[in-house]
Amino acid sequence: MAELIYSGLAKQFDGSARPALDGIDACIESGEFVALLGPSGCGKTTLLRLTAGFEEPTRGEIRMGDRQVAGPGHFVPPEDRGVGIVFQSYALWPHMTVAGNVSYPLKVRGLARAERTRRVEEALALTGLSEFADRAPAQLSGGQRQRVALARCLVAEPRAVLLDEPLANLDLALRASMQENFTAFHRRTGATMLYVTHDQGEALALASRVAVMEGGRIRQFAAPEVLYSEPVDCFVAGFVGDGAVVSARAAGPFDRSGLEVEALGMRVKVRSREALPTHLCIRPEDVSLTDEGGLRARVRGCTYQGGRFRVVVDAAGEDLVAFSRKRLVVGAQVGLRINRPWAFREPGVSAFPARVMVDA
Amino acid sequence: MTLSFAKRSSSRSEGRLLSWLLLPVALIALGPIVRLLLEGVGFGSGLTGAHLVEVISQGSTHRALVHSLVTAAGGTILSVLIGGTFAFLVALTNVRARGALVFCLMVPMMIPPQITALAWMQVTGPSSVMLKMVGLAPPLGSSQPLHSPGGIILLLGIQHASIVFLTLRAGLRQIPADLVEAARMSGAHGLRVWAQIVMPLTLPALGAGAAMAFVTALGNFGITAMLGIPARYSTLPTLIYQRLVGFGPSVLSEVAVLALLIGLVAISGVLLARWLLARRSHGLVGLSGQPLSISLGRARLPVEIALWTFIAAILALPLMALLFTSLIPAYGVSLTWTNMTFDAWVEALLRQPMTRRAYVNSISLAFGASAILMAVCLPLAWLMTRRPSRAARTIDVLADLPYALPGVVLSIACILAFLDLPFTDMTLYGTIWIILLAYLARFLVVMLRPVQASVGQLDPAMEEAASAAGARLGRRLRTIVLPLAAPAAAAGAILVFLTAVNELTVSALLWSSGTETLGVVIFNLEDSGETVMASALAMSIVLLIVFLMAGVQLLARRLPKGVVPWQS
Repeated sequence: MAELIYSGLAKQFDGSARPALDGIDACIESGEFVALLGPSGCGKTTLLRLTAGFEEPTRGEIRMGDRQVAGPGHFVPPEDRGVGIVFQSYALWPHMTVAGNVSYPLKVRGLARAERTRRVEEALALTGLSEFADRAPAQLSGGQRQRVALARCLVAEPRAVLLDEPLANLDLALRASMQENFTAFHRRTGATMLYVTHDQGEALALASRVAVMEGGRIRQFAAPEVLYSEPVDCFVAGFVGDGAVVSARAAGPFDRSGLEVEALGMRVKVRSREALPTHLCIRPEDVSLTDEGGLRARVRGCTYQGGRFRVVVDAAGEDLVAFSRKRLVVGAQVGLRINRPWAFREPGVSAFPARVMVDA
Repeated sequence: MTLSFAKRSSSRSEGRLLSWLLLPVALIALGPIVRLLLEGVGFGSGLTGAHLVEVISQGSTHRALVHSLVTAAGGTILSVLIGGTFAFLVALTNVRARGALVFCLMVPMMIPPQITALAWMQVTGPSSVMLKMVGLAPPLGSSQPLHSPGGIILLLGIQHASIVFLTLRAGLRQIPADLVEAARMSGAHGLRVWAQIVMPLTLPALGAGAAMAFVTALGNFGITAMLGIPARYSTLPTLIYQRLVGFGPSVLSEVAVLALLIGLVAISGVLLARWLLARRSHGLVGLSGQPLSISLGRARLPVEIALWTFIAAILALPLMALLFTSLIPAYGVSLTWTNMTFDAWVEALLRQPMTRRAYVNSISLAFGASAILMAVCLPLAWLMTRRPSRAARTIDVLADLPYALPGVVLSIACILAFLDLPFTDMTLYGTIWIILLAYLARFLVVMLRPVQASVGQLDPAMEEAASAAGARLGRRLRTIVLPLAAPAAAAGAILVFLTAVNELTVSALLWSSGTETLGVVIFNLEDSGETVMASALAMSIVLLIVFLMAGVQLLARRLPKGVVPWQS
């Protein structure tokens, strides 16, 4: 199993003004389960297709382990890369049976019949499809087709498994069970997996690390919990998880535990890696509704989410999100306390310390 | 698992290798037509327009041109009346058994024109077996009424009604019911809805169908030759035929001008049809809802009876007349239970060396053309869909040309191109190969379009999945694309076979002794007075055609929309 290394990777499609990928630098460890997360058009599928070899990069290089598979003047076609791919449409060949689909990669490699049969049986057993071996893909349900696609991709023991929105065509209940399937699968095979999705729930639940993409660039590449609690910019803060992003100014000295900033018309103690942050990411967990809180706010909306209410409040002209155990009336006044939210510096925004700090 | 190393994408270089396929396709499909165009400007004898002027100013050219235009226009009007009525009734009303109606209306289109003409000649005239049986035959010595411009117009109209029908029906199906409902809600009544809503929306489709029927009628050789030559009424195609048969290749440059003339009129018609169809499409985009359906109420049964009676008159009547003629012992004799005989069938199918040879020739040519075209069109369609280059797109557009041009034009073009093979002393003229090459050029689109439709519908991920599984281009084409496009390719092959086996226009100019085709033999048998044997042979071909059409019909459900011409 190999690691995937992208350096300076860019892709410009003919006739399109903006590059689809604009300088991707990333390294995926061997055996890692990585999700590419982003809105449609962010370049995540392009990155996947470049990795598979269906597209040639305009600039930059891709390495699989110690081998360059795409770079200036050098391109290894998909059939020689030894990667497996599961498509959103599954792309099962309708003229072959389930077993026929799964054994195709082995046939292409010229394996002997006995060896082929043994490995196909193994792959089908692993995906729980043994009894469907002789069926045509058209006779299977969505979830079963998904598993055939997975078995077909894994039977050849690929160096990396690429999954292109594999759950997008399944209904909600099935998605949850397929997610568990993927995790179990990854644990069992130890394959390097690259998973493209626009569903953050899926990405955060499955992947050991998530690359959040936007406008052809990777905005942040980190573990799910880090993305959630320590986003690096406004896009990631807004795209991943619930909550609010408000602007802020440093209002105190920076040390290991963070600093004090001025935001929402008051001083707030924040966690940060920046001496001069520009924004706060306030998660619902960071907000407690209490009458002793230093901040007054007006309730703008209240929706029940099972076990708790999600409350949107207007505090100093900003919409914050909080959780409440009781239903609140729209228009009611509440008190808030904000508990050490995350502060970051949005790239390209100049950061001024608050005047108070100049005084201090 | 190891990575095998390729300097440069090997599958891409395979793709580039495949692009060389475009060259022979372009040479065979378009080369002859380019050669014909060059002939028109005096290529070979110094660039000169003198020839052009000379031929065009001849009286016979004028007469033939006028005759061509008159019969084609008359036939078109008749086609519009028949095809239009059928299209409105079948597409917009609740008549029953539409599938069967459509199939029966399509049969005349698939039956070769010379057989249509032969069959109708058995319905009318003094020697009609059928009329004699009911005692209605005109007295001996009276003339065959179909040997006249009127007869030509009648048969052209019937033969090409299905073209108008198909185009118009496709147009009518796009009219959503809510447009008519909206008009009714605005207070418009029956006729007003018809005149102000339905007609304006269908006029472009009707116009396009009429233009195509006109072009096809203009190039028709079978009917105009069988009916026109005995009446000394020559059209451009028959004039070309008579000149070439009478004087041989020495008149090539003269007939080339005639071919260019008819080609020019035909291309104008094709362009007009395309323009009309393009206009229609953007008027009615993105419409949903029920297609329009009008209940005929109590008039349904009478309408159905009228439709089936008409079908019986244009299909069953001539075919029965043909059958009866094929069963009599000698031409001019009446058919009775006692003298009914299969002698002519046995003679035509088993004994006569010429007809046996023609069967072998036609079937081998049709089989060869469909096999070669199947092998060529699959990679060609893949190339056009997946790697669209400028060259591929150009060929895609121009591939229609050899099929859209009248058959005589293509024949003359092929004779010019292959009479003296470039760089050699060889000639293909007079061999069976020139007919095969002409068929390949002519029927390329018949095969290409269905395969293209099928490959276009394939999810590219199917091939990418195979590619990720390690399969190279050749293997992907063989194991993924070929099986999935196979039903369309099979339908295409049957259509090519069907059209080629019936074909007369091209082979009439290209045959020589030993390379006769079925079309030519029927024509020659009738010409030399062997009507009974001609009828038997024609009847056997009709049976073959209906059998093949039924085969396509059975495949129809597994095919992409638009592959089966009578189900578009």
